Amino acid sequence: MNFTITRQNLHSGLAAVSASIPSKTTLPVLSNILFEAREDGVWMSGTDLDVAVRVKVPADVKEQGSLTAPGKKLQEITRELPDQPVEVTTRGDQIELKCGRSHFKLNGLPAEEFPTLASVDFSDAWDVEGKDLHALIHHTSFAVSTEESRPILNGVLWELRDGEMRMVATNGHRLARMGIPAGTSGAPSADFIVPPAALQQVQRLFKDEDRLSVAKSGNHLGFRAERTEVFTRLIEGTYPNYDQVIPRDSDKLAIVDKKALESAVRRMAVVASDQTHRIRMMFEPGRVHLNVLTPDLGEGHDELEIGYDGEELEIGFNANYLLEVLRYMPTDEVKIAFKAPERAATMEPVPADGETIDYLCLVMPLRLLD
Amino acid sequence: MSTRRIHVLPDAVANQIAAGEVVERPASVVKELVENALDARATRIDIALEQGGRRRIRVSDDGTGMGREDALLSLDRHATSKITTAVELRAVRTFGFRGEALPSIAAVSRLTIETREAEEEAGTRIGVNGGGITGVDDAARQRGTTIDVRNLFFNAPARAKFLKSVAAETRAVSEVVTTLALANPRVAFTLTSDERTLIEVPRAGDVAARVAALWPGPEAGTLIPLSHSERGVEVLGLVQRPDVARPGLRRAHLFVNGRPFRSPAVVRAAERGYRTTIPHGARPWMFLFLEMGGGDVDVNVHPAKAEVRFREEGPVLEVVESAVRGTLQGDASSATFDAQLAAPVMAVREPRPATKPSADQMALFATASDQGEGGDAAGAQTEIAPVGRPRLWQALRTYIMAETRDGLLIVDQHSAHERVLFERLIRAFERGGQDGQRLLFPLTIRLTRAEYDLVEELGSLLARAGFEVEGFGGDTVIVQAVPNPHPYFDAERSFREMVHDLTNGSELSRSAKNQHERIASVFACKSAIKSGQKLDAREMQELFDQLFATELPHHDVHGRPTIVRLSTAELERRFDRSGTSHGG
Repeated sequence: MNFTITRQNLHSGLAAVSASIPSKTTLPVLSNILFEAREDGVWMSGTDLDVAVRVKVPADVKEQGSLTAPGKKLQEITRELPDQPVEVTTRGDQIELKCGRSHFKLNGLPAEEFPTLASVDFSDAWDVEGKDLHALIHHTSFAVSTEESRPILNGVLWELRDGEMRMVATNGHRLARMGIPAGTSGAPSADFIVPPAALQQVQRLFKDEDRLSVAKSGNHLGFRAERTEVFTRLIEGTYPNYDQVIPRDSDKLAIVDKKALESAVRRMAVVASDQTHRIRMMFEPGRVHLNVLTPDLGEGHDELEIGYDGEELEIGFNANYLLEVLRYMPTDEVKIAFKAPERAATMEPVPADGETIDYLCLVMPLRLLD
Repeated sequence: MSTRRIHVLPDAVANQIAAGEVVERPASVVKELVENALDARATRIDIALEQGGRRRIRVSDDGTGMGREDALLSLDRHATSKITTAVELRAVRTFGFRGEALPSIAAVSRLTIETREAEEEAGTRIGVNGGGITGVDDAARQRGTTIDVRNLFFNAPARAKFLKSVAAETRAVSEVVTTLALANPRVAFTLTSDERTLIEVPRAGDVAARVAALWPGPEAGTLIPLSHSERGVEVLGLVQRPDVARPGLRRAHLFVNGRPFRSPAVVRAAERGYRTTIPHGARPWMFLFLEMGGGDVDVNVHPAKAEVRFREEGPVLEVVESAVRGTLQGDASSATFDAQLAAPVMAVREPRPATKPSADQMALFATASDQGEGGDAAGAQTEIAPVGRPRLWQALRTYIMAETRDGLLIVDQHSAHERVLFERLIRAFERGGQDGQRLLFPLTIRLTRAEYDLVEELGSLLARAGFEVEGFGGDTVIVQAVPNPHPYFDAERSFREMVHDLTNGSELSRSAKNQHERIASVFACKSAIKSGQKLDAREMQELFDQLFATELPHHDVHGRPTIVRLSTAELERRFDRSGTSHGG
């Protein structure tokens, strides 16, 4: 293998790939990056076995070939190189870098030892706009569960339907759901449960303007734009019927200024219990009272003027869940709907006239004991 | 012609009767004689037994000794050199004030007194046989007194019959000497039995050193000093670190105003202080020295019995419990790697100036000035408490390591979180309960019949613990809300395991004091962060802070340690850097 590449291209390629490399691994080859010099450029790949990233960088390839080499070291070296062309060659299992007067040899491992990346066949791929994918991921993936006994909830549900796609995530305490009337041409009607780590890579590596090809083969999903590919294993199983638990009979509606509520909740959270983070909200016509009483610590009270004309109702929430959900609400005003203190509350954006945003967050209340 | 029906009993007879009270067995003779020696400000007391004391008991001291006249008077009942006015009687703190010991012993044995005051030229030897003086001579000897008691009960066969085996009598004497040695660490003691040395302890600076000399095993290194004062009662002493407390034989010694006493109630109160820090059935060692106003305790319920009567026992027991509890809150009570602990320096205090006892005899506890040469060892117990916010890191996904001023703390993340959750739920119970997070997808859980019945029975308590459970018919329940103790919490598993343990019983659930504690400890155990869970820096910090905000941060709810200390001093020892060590 022999190719010459600009320092900048080498660096950006390594940066893209090395984020997918596990920091600690029992399989040494996983801390390496796979280099594949082809006629049209150099492919670099990294994987932690669940998610794989593959990027192509332009290079002047003189001799095709492949080798794996330590990712972190290469990245550190490249960062320090002068801004000059880098010549990369292999000698046996060693990789050699020459740049100006700098010269490095690093021990690598044969390419055959690198795990085979999921082979996703892109011939049946469908297209997705980068910005649509980004919006869905951004607004939902925060809600996935970190608890490992229900692996299904550790993933984001991606629903593809005719003319629409949706993402849903929940940990059983709160849920986020977003839909986009998508130009998903040629998409199958399907549900995927995607690990959030893969979606993070998608967010990181693709741009809003990119038009991505997405394809599924076996239990793997592949995302591809011009020079970048992300592959991921899918989580197997059936996602719980979330639609059924989203309340449709909420008869109490409040319109609240997002920023005002956010800062009031944040103030209250300071005094909330560090375990339950409980705050109480007392809705009454035109107003919501926020109360915190934490034994051993103290109490706090705040109130906001809101649009509300329903009955008085007191409901308790984990302040962190409220703050999280508010953070992702894309409009200045939000609509909160609820029915009873023990029932789910939902929050939706209030878009300007003529605009629609299909976004809903649900927060389960805390049971108020007293 | 009336006959006199009332006779004044001759002294010898009165002494024999009194002897029945005071002198029961060799151990009581030793006790009386050693107490006399202590009153005479001895710094060294040697006790020798032959045949468990039946044949011979010899107690010699280097105390003030007696002049000839005093020596003769000492054999006279109620002639006591210790009390001169009735006022002194009320607050008396010397031991043998009743003044009847020596005559009583003399009445039932063949006894020799050898004694000499420092300023006298010659000493005195007095021989007594069954209470009658047989001779008074000069004797050449050092300052001090030796009482030689032979053929105990030779003239009281009824009493002699009740003596136990030589081994049993020897054991009883040994116990008495041990107790007196504990109460008087500044006095050197030896006890020999038929030429065999049973106890040999040099003069010690404080009780901790005395304990180490009496029990050379590893236990002495596991004791932590205790010092607590509340409501006019001061409790000083040493108690064992919970992590090393074991079931079985242990040492529990109690003293009040310097006088040993026995009280199962006080021991139980101290053990209450250990609650939740030791496994069920473990019996920690304890040496407790109570100090209180003479009017608050009657130590003379019976001169030979180690019983005392507190004016009000309830408050004393509460103070003892909170003294122990308070000590277990300290850093010194955590488990440690240190092989040789610096001998615990006991709380610094001079005994309260009693009526007028000789200062050096009563000084039970080392004072700061006494330890002065030790440099920084003097005074405060070294605190290993974290300073500021220590840097934390996780090892083996199980332990949180923290660097502190004096070394390293190794925190077991699961045990630590157990302690946090336990105390939290107990406090929440006191106020009604803890919140439950309602679930979007309620848990449907099948139980056995017995489990189902238990859930039904404990329903309201489980609800107050955050679990909102509804029957679903058959043996199935629906859990609508669960507590949310941490982001990795597996509510279903926790609930199942809790119900299983509560139904079938477990070590943990058995050791609980009541239903609240039972549920709190089982909940804590099943819901705490597991070992193997990776924690980020913020999570570690939170857990660390929460742990140190608990009442007993060093002990989990199973009676295992949550923290193991590794002190700089121990590290220096291990790396052979003791030359650069600053202490220990």
